[in-house]
Amino acid sequence: MMSTQSVERYYRTHRQAIVAGTSGVLYGGGWGLGYATGFDTASAVILILAAIVGGYDIAKTAYHEVKSRTLGIKTLVTLAAVGAVAIGAYWEAAAVVFLFSLGSYLEGRTMRKTRNALEELLEMTPDTATVRRDGQLQEVPAREVEDGDIVVVKPGEKIPVDGDVIDGESAVNQAPVTGESAPVYKSPGEEVYAGTINQEGAIEVETTGAGSDTTLQRIIRRVEQAQEAQSPTESIIDRFARYYTPGVIALSIGAYAVTQNAILSLTLLVIGCPGALVIGPPVSIVSAIGNAARSGVLMKGGEHLERAGKIDLVAFDKTGTLTKGETRVSDIEGFGVESDEALELAAIAEKKSEHHLADAIVEAARHRTGAATDGGTAAVRPDAASVPRAAGSIPDPDGFEVIAGKGVVAHHDGREVVVGNRTLLDERGVEIPTAVAEYVREREERGETAVHVAREVTASGGNEASGEHDRVASHEVVGVIAMRDELREAAPAVIADLRDAGIETVMLTGDNERTASAVANEVGIDDYRAELLPEGKQRVVEDLREEGHVVAMVGDGINDAPSLAAADVGIAMGAAGTDTAIETADMALMADDLQRIPYAVTLSKATRWNVYENVGLAVATVTLLLAGVLTSYVTLALGMLVHEASVLAVIANGMRLLRY
Amino acid sequence: MSETTQLRVLDFDCPTCASTVERALSNQQGVENVEVHYTTGRVEIGYDDSVADPETFARTIENQGYTPQPA
Repeated sequence: MMSTQSVERYYRTHRQAIVAGTSGVLYGGGWGLGYATGFDTASAVILILAAIVGGYDIAKTAYHEVKSRTLGIKTLVTLAAVGAVAIGAYWEAAAVVFLFSLGSYLEGRTMRKTRNALEELLEMTPDTATVRRDGQLQEVPAREVEDGDIVVVKPGEKIPVDGDVIDGESAVNQAPVTGESAPVYKSPGEEVYAGTINQEGAIEVETTGAGSDTTLQRIIRRVEQAQEAQSPTESIIDRFARYYTPGVIALSIGAYAVTQNAILSLTLLVIGCPGALVIGPPVSIVSAIGNAARSGVLMKGGEHLERAGKIDLVAFDKTGTLTKGETRVSDIEGFGVESDEALELAAIAEKKSEHHLADAIVEAARHRTGAATDGGTAAVRPDAASVPRAAGSIPDPDGFEVIAGKGVVAHHDGREVVVGNRTLLDERGVEIPTAVAEYVREREERGETAVHVAREVTASGGNEASGEHDRVASHEVVGVIAMRDELREAAPAVIADLRDAGIETVMLTGDNERTASAVANEVGIDDYRAELLPEGKQRVVEDLREEGHVVAMVGDGINDAPSLAAADVGIAMGAAGTDTAIETADMALMADDLQRIPYAVTLSKATRWNVYENVGLAVATVTLLLAGVLTSYVTLALGMLVHEASVLAVIANGMRLLRY
Repeated sequence: MSETTQLRVLDFDCPTCASTVERALSNQQGVENVEVHYTTGRVEIGYDDSVADPETFARTIENQGYTPQPA
C-alpha cells in the first residue's frame, strides 16, 4: 500500500495527466451514454462533470490571467467552455476542455524534455571531492572545496573542480565541456575542468574553481541566458500576439453580433489562440542551442543563431585556425656560412622578440647540438631524445629593435644583424643574391615562411643607432630559415563540407602572396587575402559584408577580436579556458575542433528553416481553421483538436533539432 | 536587504503562462523584480527580505497551476 503522503506526491507530480485522463474518461462515458441510450440528462450531467474536472485548473489560471490583465489561451478556452455550457452544448464544452487539457499535458511533457537537455551536463559534476588536508585525505562536498585545495582524483572518477594538475598524468575525457569525444592527455601544469572524466591514472589537482565557479557551470549559465534571450522572430511574434488575442475576442463578439450564432463565435475564440505561433520559434531555438551546447558549441542567443542561419561566406584566420598554430623551423640554408651559424645568429637577434616566428627560431637553436654539419641543408628534428640546451646559452643581442610586420634588427659581436622578410632587407639596402631568392621561392611555394638572416660585412663600431643604410652592400645574406605551421588534418574536409553546403570560404593571413597561395591550394579554400596586418583583416571582413555577403569570421577570439566583432557572426575556437573569447564571439567552440564549424553553420541554417516551418504551419493552420469556421465546416471540438494538434506538431518539429 | 532566489518550473505549457506567473509574483509584497522564462522554466525573484517571505513564492506559483522545483 502506498502511504497517503506518497499518493499525494504522486498526484501532485502527475496532476495534469490525471486531470486529463479523468476528464477524458468522463467525456467518453457521457458521450457514449447519450449516444447508446439517448439518456440525455444523465449524459449531460457526466459531460458537465468532465468539463468541470478538466476545466478547473484552466479556469483557475484564467482567473489569474484576467486579474493580472494578461489575456491568454486559458481565458479563451474558459470562455468557450462556459459559453458552450450556457447554450446547452455540453458535448462541445467537454470536448474542448478535454482536448485542451490533454494537449497541455503533452506540451508540458515534451517541453520538459527540451528544458532538461542541459540537465545531463549539470549531472556531470560529482557531489563530493577527495581533498588532501593536513596530510590526510578527506571527503568533502564538492562545492565546499576552496581555491588552492589539493583534490585527488582516481582513475574512472569525474573531476569535481576546475584546477591545474600538479601530480600524475592521465587521459581525460573532456566531452562534457568541449564536446570532443577523444580523450585529452594531461600532465602536471595543465588545466582540467570540473565534470570531465579522468580515465587512466590518478592525478592531483590544485583547485582554481569549485561549486558554481567552474567552467562547466559558467557554460550552463551562458547557455541558459542564450536560450532565454529572444530572437528577432520571437519578439515580432510576441508583439503581434499582444494585439492578436484581444483582436480575436473582438472578432468573436463581432461575429456573434452579425450572425447571432453563439457556437460560431465560441469556435472563433478557440481556434484564434496563437498557440502554435508563439510556441514554435522558441522551441526551435532552445532545442538548437541545447544541442549545440552538448557538442561543445556555445551560441550566444537566438538572435545570433538566426543571423548565423544566413551565413554565405566563412572567413578563416590562417594561423591557429586552419593551421595548428605551432610554427616550427623546417629547413635552414646557410649562404657562405654553415646553417648552424646562420640559425645561431638569427636566434641571438630574435631572442628578445615575442613573435611566434622568433619563438620557433629560438626553439630550433636550443635543439641544435651546435656541432657542424655538412654546411648545407639540414632539417631540424627536435626529437625527444636530444636534450635541448637552456635558452640562457644563447647570447643576448647588444641592442635590438622590432620592425613591426617585417622583422628585427639587432647587434652582435659589433656587427648589425638583420632578420626579416624581403621588404626589411630592401629597406636596409641589403642585396639579395639569386641563389637566396631561388631558395626562398622554393620554400614559399610549399606554403612555408622564409626569413632572411643578413649580417654586416665589417664591424660598424658598436651598437649605435641602426640607421646606416647609405653604405652600399654593407650587409650580406648568410642564411635563410624556412618555417612551417602544419595544417590541421581536418581543414581540407571542413572546407569541402562548407562548399557542399553552398558556403564560400576565404583565408586571411599575414603571410606573403606566394606562401598564402600555396597554403590555400593545399587546403582547397576558394579565396585568400595575403599580407594582412590585424586591422587589415578587419577591413577585409567589412569589405566582404559591403559586397553583400553574410560573413562568419573564425579565429582564436583574442588576437583577431576586432575582425570577429566586425563579422556578422564571430566564431571563436578553443574557447574553453578563455572568457574573453566567449565574450567577444557570437559563437564559441569550446574545443580546438575545426569540424564543429560546418556543424554549427548547418545547424543554424536548419534552425532558421525550422522556425520558418513552424511559423508557416501555425499561420496555415489558423487560416484554414478560420475559413472552415466561417463556412461552418469546423465545429468547436474539431477546431480545438486541430489547434492542439498544430501546437504539438510545431513542438515535435522544433525538437528535431535536439537530435540534429 | 535585497536577496535573490531561483526556482524552476518545468510545466509551463505556453509563453503567456510564464508571464501570468511573472505578474502574480511581482504583485507580491516585497518583491522587487521577477524574471520568468518560458523557454528554460527559470524563475528568478529579487526581493526585500525584511518584507517578503521567500517561502510564499512557491505557493504563489502553485496557485497559478504550476509546479515549482528548487533550481
